[in-house]
Amino acid sequence: MAKGNHWQLIPLDTFERPTAPASTLLQKAWLRAQNLIGIKDDEDTTPDEQDFPHYREFDLEPAVAAVEQAWEAAESEPCVRFVISPPFSGSGAILRAWADKHGYQQLKPPRKDQLESADTASWWQAQQCDNWLLDEFSSFWLRTTSHMQFMRALLPRLLRGELGAGVVVVDSWTFAFLQRAWPLSLPHCYCFAAATPELLQQVGIETTDKALRKLNAKARGNVGVALALWALAQNSERQTPRIPSEADDATAFILCALLLHHGLAGEYLQLVLPMLAPDQLDVQLLRLQQNGVIELDDEKVWRVTVYAYVDVRDFLASRGYWLDSF
Amino acid sequence: MNTEQFLEIFKEINSAVLIEIGVVIALAMAIIWCSQKLLPLLAEHLHGKQRLFVLALIPTVRVLVFVFAIIWIVPLIIEPTARNMVAILGAAGLAIGFALKDYVSSIIAGVVAVYEVPYRPGDWISVDGTYGEVKHIGMRAVEIVTPDDTVVFIPHLKLWSNLIHNANNGGPSLMCVVDFYLHPEHDANQVKHLLEDVALTSPYVQLAKPIVVVANEEPWGTRYRLKAYPIDPRQQFQFMTDLTARGKTCLRALPVNFAQLSPEHAVQPAPY
Repeated sequence: MAKGNHWQLIPLDTFERPTAPASTLLQKAWLRAQNLIGIKDDEDTTPDEQDFPHYREFDLEPAVAAVEQAWEAAESEPCVRFVISPPFSGSGAILRAWADKHGYQQLKPPRKDQLESADTASWWQAQQCDNWLLDEFSSFWLRTTSHMQFMRALLPRLLRGELGAGVVVVDSWTFAFLQRAWPLSLPHCYCFAAATPELLQQVGIETTDKALRKLNAKARGNVGVALALWALAQNSERQTPRIPSEADDATAFILCALLLHHGLAGEYLQLVLPMLAPDQLDVQLLRLQQNGVIELDDEKVWRVTVYAYVDVRDFLASRGYWLDSF
Repeated sequence: MNTEQFLEIFKEINSAVLIEIGVVIALAMAIIWCSQKLLPLLAEHLHGKQRLFVLALIPTVRVLVFVFAIIWIVPLIIEPTARNMVAILGAAGLAIGFALKDYVSSIIAGVVAVYEVPYRPGDWISVDGTYGEVKHIGMRAVEIVTPDDTVVFIPHLKLWSNLIHNANNGGPSLMCVVDFYLHPEHDANQVKHLLEDVALTSPYVQLAKPIVVVANEEPWGTRYRLKAYPIDPRQQFQFMTDLTARGKTCLRALPVNFAQLSPEHAVQPAPY
């Protein structure tokens, strides 16, 4: 076990992804070439989602300590801090644990009518707190014209300090979209530094240093993704889920919408993708689910699976989509 | 030049030379055929710049193979001296001038097109009012497919004298413009911001590119032009449909009334 705490909360603009070893790059290029010429693995590439191993959750306490260390060192406390969270990185859970420890109250998301009328005042009146955590920033709104008005009304109020001191956890995909949708860049943005082999050892992955580096590069320095891929690698019968070969524009729209909103229920997915007929949407969702690319959780929300995330990101990148920076 | 002198230009052609020429021609045709079949297949699996690059390789490969085959074959048939070349080119020029002027002009324009690249496979071009996607660049003509799925063959000859409008010019960026015609009584800034959001919230929109709304006043109302780029040029018509459908819904909800144009207003030419 590696000694010390390897978690680090850093300013967003200092984030650096781990470099991939040459063997990983070659393997990726080979897989891409196979996809281009239509070669499929002999083994079953449409795994049953129930058979995926549950990846072990890591101890949050060292990560919470890293948050404390980063923010205690700051000379003056800003009104609002933004923590940018790549999917499955666990940043939300870490910040919730930090908020519990420091007496920060979790804000309730706005109601539908408040979102559609851009009524930030009535939403804030119901909260009644001085120190708060908004951890559902990516999931309460939809990419529609009316909800955009709410976001444009909320962000200036947050920055002016009208809502007191708080922490906003924003998914990296939502943050990338907001950077385009709202011309002002957000101040006091933090993120967890990319995982290192030492951090992967700290969260319980036990393998050789070379394998840790390869795993870390494949997971793009994302602890949650690395844990999931490692759990998957322990089971030789199972493969990483792949984007179905029938994937088209509609598939890309769905995957992008799910990442942008941190998962969406079927009816909301239909609202943000009105040009897809309901039956067409159902077919796409079921096909992606059969391939283990997305899953339907207990709250009937469709989400990209952690095992498919790297593949989904590559798929959207190959189609020229606006990506997150992680 | 009498017949005897003319025949001296040519080398003695035996069966070995004929076989060599045959093999070179067969090989060149095989390479061109393969590039025309395999590269589009490969391009189908790619998107954006990569797809357009692979498609642009097709005419380039053909010209290179063609030139290489000519350089190989000509010295097998004639003595490549300056005198002989002048004689051959003179005879060829005479034939071309009388019988094959347009055909050869198109072929030369095709070679120029490979060098100047006014259009590449995958580009969306408009020539003489015909708009479509370039599917194939042949030796003599460029083949485009219109949005109504009609194939149009345009001789490269048009390159010399006609305006070629290229909407994406080899890149994945193709601006789409959607018009909205509104009754003049409304808040123009509110409409402008709303239309910008309509584009921003479209799943088709390329977020890396700007979104612009331009308004101008007409006698019958206000015309808005929403300009934005789709992620892939092939999505342009679905993108414009999405912008139109959602734009109308949002404008109705604002509420804003749409301009009521009479048919004579719609076709009335500008006074200047």
